[in-house]
Amino acid sequence: MTGLGATMVRAGRRLLSSLPALFGVLVFTFLLMRVLPGDPAVFFASGPNAGKEEIEQIRKQMGLNRPVPEQLVFYLSDIGHGNLGRSMMTGQPVLKDLRERLPASLELTFTALLIALIAAVPLGVVAALRPGSVVDHGVRLFCALGVCVPTFVSGLLLIYVFYYLLGLAPDPTGRIDVFTSLPPQRTGFLSIDFLLAGDFEGWWAACKQLVLPAVSMALFVIAPLARITRASMLVSLGSDFVRTARSVGLSWRKVVVTYALRNAILPVITIAGIVFSTMLGANVLVEKVFSWPGVASYALDALLSSDYAPVQGFVLLMASLFVLVNLVVDVCYGIADPRVSIE
Amino acid sequence: MRFVSFRPATSVLATVALLLIANAPSQAQTRAETLRYVTGASVNTLDPNIPGSTRESFALSMSTYDRLVAFGRKQLNGKWVFDLDTITGELAESYDVSPNGLKLTFRLRKDAKFQDGSPVTAEDVKWSLDRCVTAPILGKAQLLTGSLTSADQFKVIDPLTIEVTLPKPDKLALPNLATVYPMIINSKVAKEHATADDPWATAWLKEHTAGSGAYVVETFKPGEQVILKRDEAWNRGSANKPAFFKRVIVQSVPEPATRANLVERGDADIVVDLQASDVQSLEAKGKLKVISTPQYNAITFVSMNNQIPPFDNVNVRRAIAFALPYDDMFKAALFGRGAPLFGATWPDGKPANGIYPFQAPVKTDLDKAREYLKAAGLPEGFATTFSFNVGQASTAEPMASLVKESLAKIGIKVDIQKLPDAQMSTQINEKKLPFFTEGIVAWLPSTDYFYRNFYTGNQRWNYSSINNPEIAAIAQEARFEPDKAKYEEDGRKLNAIHFSEMPQIPLWQPNQDAVMASSIEGYTYEFHRQVDYRDVSRK
Repeated sequence: MTGLGATMVRAGRRLLSSLPALFGVLVFTFLLMRVLPGDPAVFFASGPNAGKEEIEQIRKQMGLNRPVPEQLVFYLSDIGHGNLGRSMMTGQPVLKDLRERLPASLELTFTALLIALIAAVPLGVVAALRPGSVVDHGVRLFCALGVCVPTFVSGLLLIYVFYYLLGLAPDPTGRIDVFTSLPPQRTGFLSIDFLLAGDFEGWWAACKQLVLPAVSMALFVIAPLARITRASMLVSLGSDFVRTARSVGLSWRKVVVTYALRNAILPVITIAGIVFSTMLGANVLVEKVFSWPGVASYALDALLSSDYAPVQGFVLLMASLFVLVNLVVDVCYGIADPRVSIE
Repeated sequence: MRFVSFRPATSVLATVALLLIANAPSQAQTRAETLRYVTGASVNTLDPNIPGSTRESFALSMSTYDRLVAFGRKQLNGKWVFDLDTITGELAESYDVSPNGLKLTFRLRKDAKFQDGSPVTAEDVKWSLDRCVTAPILGKAQLLTGSLTSADQFKVIDPLTIEVTLPKPDKLALPNLATVYPMIINSKVAKEHATADDPWATAWLKEHTAGSGAYVVETFKPGEQVILKRDEAWNRGSANKPAFFKRVIVQSVPEPATRANLVERGDADIVVDLQASDVQSLEAKGKLKVISTPQYNAITFVSMNNQIPPFDNVNVRRAIAFALPYDDMFKAALFGRGAPLFGATWPDGKPANGIYPFQAPVKTDLDKAREYLKAAGLPEGFATTFSFNVGQASTAEPMASLVKESLAKIGIKVDIQKLPDAQMSTQINEKKLPFFTEGIVAWLPSTDYFYRNFYTGNQRWNYSSINNPEIAAIAQEARFEPDKAKYEEDGRKLNAIHFSEMPQIPLWQPNQDAVMASSIEGYTYEFHRQVDYRDVSRK
């Protein structure tokens, strides 16, 4: 138990030490948004008759009529009170938007990562067991294809084949068929909420919607995961302890899975952490193609219309998630290899 | 390490199984009574008056609120379009315009009820119109164009009669009351949610509706979807019965290719914002109904800042007008889907009529363009930038390359500049762009309205920054001109000045391509350029 307690303390310390970085991100994004050309007030005052008066009014509404340092102080104090401002685009508080959209992005990313890991780790192991063989080359080709094809292309292709041609997949419009009623919101993850509500038909519908976008995202990240698994499995298989294990006649399964893979998994976890964070921010194209109501497409729309509050909120959210993911990865290290401590 | 066991096989099986299950057919009966409309944009407020509200929000409010009056519809080349000249009662049973044109009297329908069941009274109408001209909302600037500026102009005569007085006989006063903003709100409900800071309940109405419209908002997820339910008691439609569809789903689908797939597969019923190339292929397949209406209240043009050299020289502007590759641009950008505003012939050198936008006698004539450049003292040409915004890239990008190529032939070197939408509008507002393409739209497309709003004053919508006292004077005079023949004459004069001064070059009126299931009927091109859900029905 002391081990767990110590881990918690260390994790807490890590969290504290990341606060200055978060603050830096906050201020930097704030300034960056204001340095970028493009006046949001002019953009949003684009009704057929909007004139100077309307522009001034929106500027006031967004607080842009004040000097920048003053805006920053107001912004920081708002953040302190848990208020991320209001989006001009959706007309909602940013916090509410993000709270509604983050689960959608997380659900998609987690599923995609799971699919990617389930596919990539065995592929990497198989490739490492027979380096230079046909299997190895096959895996390499598959990975190269996955990386070459941008996610929106694979997304559109999957839609074309499974929805348009075959009619197997449901229409690619968001998390749930528009005709299905939503379960009471508990976690925000539809696949979990439906189960909690005991609505299996709904759960099925939600899963069907999830498959295509998750697969098109997974295709893109299988390559790094499989390649890193292969590389580190090769090192691990060639090491002394595996040779010893083999020589004492341990079963194939025990040698490969228990000894070689467990030792080889550390870099895979690291990469998985990085891949996860990248996916969360970079899956904007998949979100657009599948009309997925996630945070990334929200942030992109906000950026194009110079809507400051959502962009700032998004960057802050991403930075916090990155800190969290790093922490989780470190904790996973400890579990995978007890020799590692996150000090 | 259990996680590397036989999961791959099971996951593949699960994926296949998931894909093999077709859509549940249980909703088939209600599907026919539901209209599913998909769009690349989104609804961001339930009150279209809120600054920053989107076009989809405008369209939604047409169905959730009623106005005093509404535009009729007419056929233009076999397609239904809104008719600015026929104004019918919506909440008003009838209306009178006094002989001197200064008094409009509206008698309300006796049976009109708000969605909460309370009757619509003249008090509600007054409160709503007062709100429109007093509160800091979008309606203020719009109603100003119809000489409606103060709450004193709206007078309750009795619970079912309201009178509107005008300072001048303004032709646009009545049509203005049919536009999006002066919607009639249930004032009792709204007042309950008004605060000292917000006496017109703008914050509350942004998220809630209190109207008498054909549809009740069931769910509203900003940026994603809105689901509407029919109000069974509503009878302001043409045939005194509720709207056709029991439910309307307005859903945001950002990817245009996906929207095309949805409507082609029959999962969506109607869409109006597809890419021209998709529309063309869908039309060729012939499975769906495609109704293409030139947006006769919208214009795409190439604009030049008349205050920035060398475009301050009229001959430079004329040179550009004769050097643009019109036909190629029309084909590359629009696939020919629209009404061209170039290539006219004016036999006597005078405008054919007094209607703006007009088809101008310009065509690609590089020799003529060179002559004009010589006359401007720039026979060697010059260098400039041509800007467009990212939002219009699908049409503007091919156009820009063609402009660049063609102008290079007369020695004008063009750099193409692609700007994010917010940046573009900022630069236009600050009058910093020398040469660019934009589109304009007028809800009430009358000649004087176009000239007053887009060709006068130092304001954002005067894209070409032209400062011509003659245009300003004639347009202002035409606004209150009761005599149709004289109005027409004023229009001819304005068009003639436009052609000779060439402040900017109108290119075309792009089509609104409405693609719909073959069972959908009644689609009408509306002034707000979106679908009015009340218009459509299913065979």
